[in-house]
Parts: sequence; structure tokens; C-alpha cells
Amino acid sequence: MTSSADHLPGRADPADGAERDGIERDGIERDRAVVTAPAAGTPEEPADGRTAARGAGHRPRRRLWHTNWYAYLFVAPSLFGVFAFLLLPLLIVLGLSLFHWELLSSPSFAGLANYRRLGGDGETWHSVWVTVLFVLLSIPAQTVLGLLLALLLNQRVKGVAFYRALFVVPWMATPIVMGLVWTWIFDPRDGALNKLLGVAGVSGPDWLTDPSWALPSVALVNVWQYSGYTMLFFLAGLQGIPQELYDAAATDGASPVQRFFQITLPLLNPTTFFVTVTNLVGAFQIFDTVYAMTDGGPSGSTEVLNFRIYETAFRQFDFGYASTLAALLFLLILAVTLAQVRFFAKRTTYDLS
Amino acid sequence: MTSPRIRTIAAVLGAALLSTATACGGSGDSGGSVTLTYRLWDDQQKAGYQKVMAAFEKADPGVRVKIELLPYDQYWTKMTADAVAGTAPDVFWMQTSQFPEFVTKGILADLGGLKLDTSKYNANVVQSYTYKGKLYGVPKDFGIVGLLYNEDLFKKAGVTMPDKLTWAPDGSGTLLETARKLTVDDNGKHPDQPGFDAGKVKQYGFASWNHYQTQWMNWVSSNGGKLVDKPFGKYAFNDAASVQALQFGVDLVNKYHVAPPAAQTNPPSDKINEMFKQGRVAMFPANNALLPFVAPGANFKIGIAPMPAGPAGRVVNINGLSEAVYARSPHKEAAMKLARFLSGPEAQKIMADGGYVFPALDGLSQGYLDYWKQKGLDVSPFLEESRGATFNLPVTTGFTAFENKLNQTFNDMYLGKLTPQQAADQAVHDGDALVK
Repeated sequence: MTSSADHLPGRADPADGAERDGIERDGIERDRAVVTAPAAGTPEEPADGRTAARGAGHRPRRRLWHTNWYAYLFVAPSLFGVFAFLLLPLLIVLGLSLFHWELLSSPSFAGLANYRRLGGDGETWHSVWVTVLFVLLSIPAQTVLGLLLALLLNQRVKGVAFYRALFVVPWMATPIVMGLVWTWIFDPRDGALNKLLGVAGVSGPDWLTDPSWALPSVALVNVWQYSGYTMLFFLAGLQGIPQELYDAAATDGASPVQRFFQITLPLLNPTTFFVTVTNLVGAFQIFDTVYAMTDGGPSGSTEVLNFRIYETAFRQFDFGYASTLAALLFLLILAVTLAQVRFFAKRTTYDLS
Repeated sequence: MTSPRIRTIAAVLGAALLSTATACGGSGDSGGSVTLTYRLWDDQQKAGYQKVMAAFEKADPGVRVKIELLPYDQYWTKMTADAVAGTAPDVFWMQTSQFPEFVTKGILADLGGLKLDTSKYNANVVQSYTYKGKLYGVPKDFGIVGLLYNEDLFKKAGVTMPDKLTWAPDGSGTLLETARKLTVDDNGKHPDQPGFDAGKVKQYGFASWNHYQTQWMNWVSSNGGKLVDKPFGKYAFNDAASVQALQFGVDLVNKYHVAPPAAQTNPPSDKINEMFKQGRVAMFPANNALLPFVAPGANFKIGIAPMPAGPAGRVVNINGLSEAVYARSPHKEAAMKLARFLSGPEAQKIMADGGYVFPALDGLSQGYLDYWKQKGLDVSPFLEESRGATFNLPVTTGFTAFENKLNQTFNDMYLGKLTPQQAADQAVHDGDALVK
């Protein structure tokens, strides 16, 4: 997130930046007031991240080091984390992808052999397709649902704090446990879902053992789990839009629908950007839910790329090729994220004054 | 929505690198007291092994043992990483499906030096850990598949468990007959009665589902089929006898309707376990190691019977565990002492009397029987089976890699989407591709 914010337009002007920082902080204050206890930590992260990135960007380098060395001291622990647990493993994985290494035997240099193998590996490309399908099934639904929930829960209604917390609960649950509970719900004979459909006179499908239903079922669980989480961010975004804009629009005679499409949606772009990037990355990396619900089946219909990586590394112990697959997933996510950055770069303003 | 597995890869690699670095500074057997690491995966058995190790330390005051418990789903990953890094524990549990991988890579020490009298141990367990004529694991215990049944359901239906259950590919034999009597739909009809509704079954007579260890491998073996052509060989379960046997397992579900549909029971679901515990399935083949997990929570009386005999007699799965010594252990001498102790009657008796396992050493099973008798269970059919014909899980390389694919293919078979011949051909093809 932080690095992608560097590419956003309008960063060069320090004055402008300082002002925006001020607003950003205001936003945080407001977020704090709104969000209920269980989630209090979360909405700050993106805002803080952006502020930090910007602050580092628009001062000359030398001066920064002399006056702000203590700042580096403070970020040192997390920088260490980034190096030790992010960059180093990434480099190791990229390096390993150039080796033949079945654990328990010694690695041998393979050059690009693993990548050539990837080219002709139909099963992996099938997994890529399954992953893309999964993303398409879950992300749009999750985003729209999250936004709708946020609009709904942005009202001043009694007990709204309770509902906000309620919708975030699925996100806090362990995916493995969630997966298990959902397999009970999806059970074709005794499951709650088909029992309910039965009352309505519909005979439900074999959700998890029918290859055409398994992936949508897993995606449904994912949507259910992350919509509330997505809502949190939209809620924070909504609170950051100044009321004056709505007042002015209302004075000009704009209808609620117009206000939504002309003010709310465009000004939510920073949030939408953050939410779609992080959710998309998450969806590309989906693993636990698949592991708990279908183990990649039936007939490979839920065998997402991350699941194949797991299979290759921990069931076949072929770490060289697993690293190659991990590199492929990394590149895929990078490409999609860059595309999103470009898309939102032209359409986003952080200046809400 | 982060991916813990990917982070695990990184962590394992990091740990591997770090531990190689530190391992260089390790110490040897330099007199004084030595501390060995002993690794296992069963938290119930850990309690038993604490007593075993206390006895060992008493007998050999120069050696201390640290017991390390790793949950099963991390055990082999960590074990593999440790073996790569050269820091595996001195003595650890080994199981048949992992043995080929570890022994062919030189991780396990040859135990010839212990000069064990292998004729005193369960022959099957000994054979499972013998590679090229040498023993690479101290025979520890065995688990065996038997038939658990719900005595209350039998009583209610007025059915008694036949003295000998039999099955045949054509549907004759006492197993199917008994299972039919115990299968009832919402209107009280049995599967061989007119008007039986297979879509609305209240109670099933038998659990037939896609589980290799307790299900289809037993059908195959008791019909004269073979799983692998020889130890460390290729898969062979697509011959005529095997396919016939597979067909029977599927027929129990889709043709005779005495077992719940595969859409409910296919792995990774553990629905069938639940259904047995809820009293909705009368007969349930299971390994005796499952008893501590099923027996305490059951609200009905559990009976135990030997598995049904097929045309080739009764042939059931036996799964032996062994204690392996790490070939590169810095305390090899002490590790061998511990291995010797674990092979002896004192250690194995503690484990038997605690009701943990059937020990691999002959003559100690009474302790296990007594333990369970006290809990109201007669487990002697398991023992009786172990004295008859048994078979092993396939002992060949690449089984871990094959397992999930095999399950997926056979899931389709139990759903009726692939014929047993198609499924077996495909599985054998996939499995052979992974044999090295």
C-alpha cells in the first residue's frame, strides 16, 4: 500500500501535502470516534501509511536524515521486519525457483528449467483460471456489499454501533473454523441451507461435491467473511467526506441519487482503491477456506494457485517448483495491483477541502 | 486473508538456514550426561511416554530425554526441514507412508547393531520398516481396522451381530443382509422393500465411504486384489479383483442404499464420524486408535466385531509405527541405548497397560485389553484380526504427494461419476508417475 501511494499525483507540492496531512489526521480523529471497540485499530492503518509515505517524499533527502534520524530509529523495528520477513523470503523464493530441490535431497541449479516446466503445466494454468474465477466471484460482490452496508450503517440509528460490530465478527473468525462450520451449513441433506431451500420447495444442489457449485460456495463464504471488514473502511471513508459538500449540493437541488454518484462515490475513491487492492491481493492468495472446505476438490474445481503451491511444497516436497509457482503468483498480483494503481491514479483526489 | 502457508515456507526456510548455522557449533558425546530429544505427535501418548522416559533415565542415569510434541499436521513438514538442516531429533516416530521417503534419503540409522530378535515382534510392523534386508525402525505399536457398531440400534431392530460377517461382489453374504435390516427410511421401510425412499433415509446400516485405510483397501485385499506389486514398487489396484471390490464399496452406497450418499461423506468432510456418533449409522469400520476419541463421547453402547471376510478371506489393514534413530545424531550411542530400551518389554508394557496402543512386541496385549475392558469395551476382536491375514498401506515413495489426487479421483467414483475401472486406472496412472 505504502509504496503504491508514492505514485499518486499531486504529491510534489509540499504546502499542498502538509495541508492534506492535516485533513488526513482529522479523518483519523473522526474514524476513531465512530468505529466501535473490536475494530478500533484497523481504520488507522491505511491513513497512517499514506501520511508516512508522503512525509518522507517531499523533503530533500540530506536534510531529512539530519533532522529526522530519530524517525528512522523508530521505524527500524518494522523496517527490520520488512527485510527479514518480506524482502528476504521473497529473494529466497526467487532464488529457489532456479533450483531443482526436492527436500531431503540436495538442491541442484536448474536455470530456467522450472519456468519451462511451468509453460507446459496444464494443471497450473487450470489453477490460475480457478483463481481468477474465484476473484471475479468474490471481489465485486464483496465490495458492493461492503459499500451498501457502510451506507446503511452510516445513519444515526439506535443500536448502530452494535450492528457495525456484528458485521465485523465474521472477519475475526478463524478461516479454518469458519470453513468447518460452513461445510455443515452446506451439507446437502442435513445442512441449514438446503433445509431452508426445501421449505421454499427448492431442492438445493450438492454444494461442495458438485464441481460447478463448489467454487461459488467457497466464494460465498469469502464474501460473507470479508464484507463486514470492507464495510469498516467504507464507513471510515464516508465519515471523511465533509458535510458542507452535501449541504451545498442539496441547496443546488441535487437529488440523493445524484449526491451519491457525484459526491460520495468519487470522494470515496481513496478508500475504494485501498479496499480493492488489499481485497484483491487477499483473494488471489485464498487458501485456508479452500483447505478446510474442499481440499481442492471436487475434480480440482477449487484448486486455486495458492493451494497448488501448498500441494507442491508440502505434499510433494518439491520446493524448487513450488517457488516457481509462488513467483508466478507474485507476478500476477503485482500486475493486477499496478493496473489498479494506474486506474485509480487518474480518478482519485485526497483533497477533500 | 493472508496466507499462513506461504509464510510457513519462508519461516521454514529461514529456520533451516539459521539452524544449519548453529548446528555447526553443536557438541558431541563428550562424557558427562547427554540430553536426547525424542519427538512424537500424539498428545495422549505423550503422557505414557513421560512414564517410559522416567524409567529409562532411572535405568541409564547418564542420559536425559526431552520429549518434544509436535501436532501431526506440522510433524512431517518440520521433520523434513530438520532433516534438511541436519538438526532432526535423535529419536522420533516414523510411520509407514513416510518411511520410504526418509529411508531412501539416508535420514534413518540402520538398527542392525541392536540385534533385535525380530521374530518376537508383529511380523507386519517389522516388514514395514525393513529396507533392503535391514531394519530401520524399532517396532513400536500397531493400529488395526475393526468394525465398530452401535449395539443400541441392533437391539432396537431386533438384530444380532452375526458370528461372522461376509461379503461378496454379487451382494451375497451376511454383511449386506445385516446392513439392510438396519437401514430405515422415514416410513420405516428397508431398502429391499417396495416403496423404500433412498432420498429420505433416517438411519443407515453401514458406513461405506471414500477412506482408503478403513474402507476400499480392505475390500480390495479381501477380494484377492493387490495395492502395490511389491514393496517400493508400482500400484496394482486396477486389476479385475480390485475393481470388483471397489464396485462393491460403491454399490453399498448407490445400489443397495445401505450407506449415506457420497455427497455427504466424501473427504475432506468428516460427516461419517459424526453420523456414527449421533446414532444414524449402525456399523462403522475404524482403526482402534480412534477409540479414545469415539468411546468417551458416545451416548450408546459400542460393540466391536472383526471386519467382514471377502472371497479371499478376512484381510484387514494394519498400520505399524516405529521409533527411528536419526542417522546424523551427534549422540548416536545414547540414541541407540534409548532405541534399545524402547524395544524392550518394560517400555512397551507401560504403553499397553495405559490403553494407548497395541504394542508391537508379542505377549503384552493383555494390558491393552484389560484397560478397555475396565471401560466397558471388549477390544479383543482387534487382536484376533491382527493374528490373521493383514495388509499394509502402500509402502512406496511419493504416497504423500499422491494421496490428495487419489482421494479426489475416488470421490468421483463414490459419487458415481467415474466407474471403478476408470477411477482405478486413473489413480494407478497418477500414483505411478510419483513413484521414484
